[in-house]
Amino acid sequence: MSDLSLLVQMGFGALLALSVYLPLRCGQLSLATPGFYVIGGYVAALLSTRWPALSGAGTGYPLTSLALELVVAALVAAAVALVLGRPVLQLRGIYLAIATIALVEILRVLNLNLAWSGGAVGIFGIPQPFAGPGGYALATWVLLALVCWLCARLEAMRLGRAMAAIRDDELAARCMGIPSADVKLTAFVISAVIAALTGVLAAHFLNTWNARQGGFDASITTLAFVVFGGSRIWLGPVLGGLVITALPELLRPVGDLRLILFGLVILLGPILFPQGLITPERLARLQQTLRRP
Amino acid sequence: MQVPSAQATAAASLLALEEVSCRFGGLLALDRVSLQVQPGEIFGLIGPNGAGKTTLFNLISGVGRPTAGSIRWSDGAINGLPPDRINRLGIGRTFQNLRLFQRLSCLENVLIGLHHSARAPLLPALLGQRSFRQSQGELRQRALELLELVDLADTARQPAGSLPYGSQRRLEIARALATAPRLLLLDEPAAGMNPIEKEELSALIRRLRSRFDLTVLVIEHHVPLMMSLCDRLAVLNFGRRIALGTPESVRHDPAVIEAYLGVSA
Ligand SMILES: Nc1ncnc2c1ncn2[C@@H]1O[C@H](COP(=O)(O)OP(=O)(O)O)[C@@H](O)[C@H]1O
Ligand SMILES: [Mg+2]
Repeated sequence: MSDLSLLVQMGFGALLALSVYLPLRCGQLSLATPGFYVIGGYVAALLSTRWPALSGAGTGYPLTSLALELVVAALVAAAVALVLGRPVLQLRGIYLAIATIALVEILRVLNLNLAWSGGAVGIFGIPQPFAGPGGYALATWVLLALVCWLCARLEAMRLGRAMAAIRDDELAARCMGIPSADVKLTAFVISAVIAALTGVLAAHFLNTWNARQGGFDASITTLAFVVFGGSRIWLGPVLGGLVITALPELLRPVGDLRLILFGLVILLGPILFPQGLITPERLARLQQTLRRP
Repeated sequence: MQVPSAQATAAASLLALEEVSCRFGGLLALDRVSLQVQPGEIFGLIGPNGAGKTTLFNLISGVGRPTAGSIRWSDGAINGLPPDRINRLGIGRTFQNLRLFQRLSCLENVLIGLHHSARAPLLPALLGQRSFRQSQGELRQRALELLELVDLADTARQPAGSLPYGSQRRLEIARALATAPRLLLLDEPAAGMNPIEKEELSALIRRLRSRFDLTVLVIEHHVPLMMSLCDRLAVLNFGRRIALGTPESVRHDPAVIEAYLGVSA
């Protein structure tokens, strides 16, 4: 894998981690992210291969068409999340996790068996809006920067505070007038949109899309990003997504040992840093040390 | 502040409970309790442990539902409404077992209480424009004033969970006040305080009532404190309301003396 391709994958990892992070920030262990990622990918794959008008006259796939796919994918994911979110988010803790894993699995089985999604083989020959991995890296990291900025702003807004309150004590938050069902649904919808946008870029990047892109193991991997990086401030999942995606590649020189080392990192991370690598307190301390000359 | 008479009619009452019962399996935690709270009064609820006082607060604040009876607020029934809706109607509460947002600072706890005052246009908020920063500054100012009112301005930046017990109780009051209630439910606000702190708290509750035009419903075990603080009192025992009236009449009520005060009288 080229270095640029690795950068693209790392960006995807960080984006998916942020998608898992947002519901978790208001205490909701939702593992639906791979489902919305798959939906985004199918929107891109179907629109770009089945709708000739989008392909344009030139050599490359037009960026305007890519932008259109992103908008459609965001709308579809938001609509699905709005409809599913109300009933599903009434579940708590591990029950929510199991229900969302089930949703992802149902979607995977449906996609394996439906004609329009290309069945088990999936959809091939997804056109390329960028000439090489460089373009993808740029697009992915621009999207990542935008989402990071959104999350950072959220933390300064009342929605971010309400999310933190619900995570600490939902009943107390409700008694303070916070409509917790709406807040949780908002986080779920934003989370779905982020995953779907990532799916659009991934489908083009991989050139092919099929049901295997999202499944139970993807749910667990994306959760590991957040557990490893931390779930209390947006920088945590970003770091977790970047590092854990890159790790298998970075460990390539050690040969067969790399899978063992990878497993060790995933195992030791939460043991040594139960709240994840990055917490607001640790960040504040770091800032203080940096400021002191 | 004008104190309504004990005979004030139900029609003018702010909160009216009619034959409210609450059953947990085989346990009747509240048994046909009726009472009316008049605007502006400090209404006390006393009774031994397990009498159903907290359960009553839970029903009023929407944390639980009555199994029978009705709860009227101003002029509408509120039983069965969710807690966030009830808070928006003007009922704020604190918790006997302290339910602060432990990891968040005192200031943030109060800011969360100000949720509905913090509404800001989305775009300026996302862009961090000056208008948004200004409104956030004003919001923090209001939160700080509330903290000052309960004497916690100095600990604004500390995590709520790190405060001593008495301070946490006062922080709960500030957080509830931030939601701009007309009725404040205080569940054992003086628990864990020493006698001096208890006196100060009593004065604070009176101050808050006149400053915010509050009606206060307060649960507390310390009977002498309640006698001097409250305009009227209700006494609960095994889920039943066994007495209701002015502190003077309650003090001399034979049923109360037998069930509750008997020990100390
Ligand atoms: N959620 C609940 N489930 C079952 N029993 C409860 C519940 N809440 C309170 N109770 C019971 O109801 C009775 C009244 O409790 P409570 O209202 O907390 O009393 P008080 O506040 O007067 O000390 C107690 O016997 C208590 O064990
Ligand atoms: Mg109690």
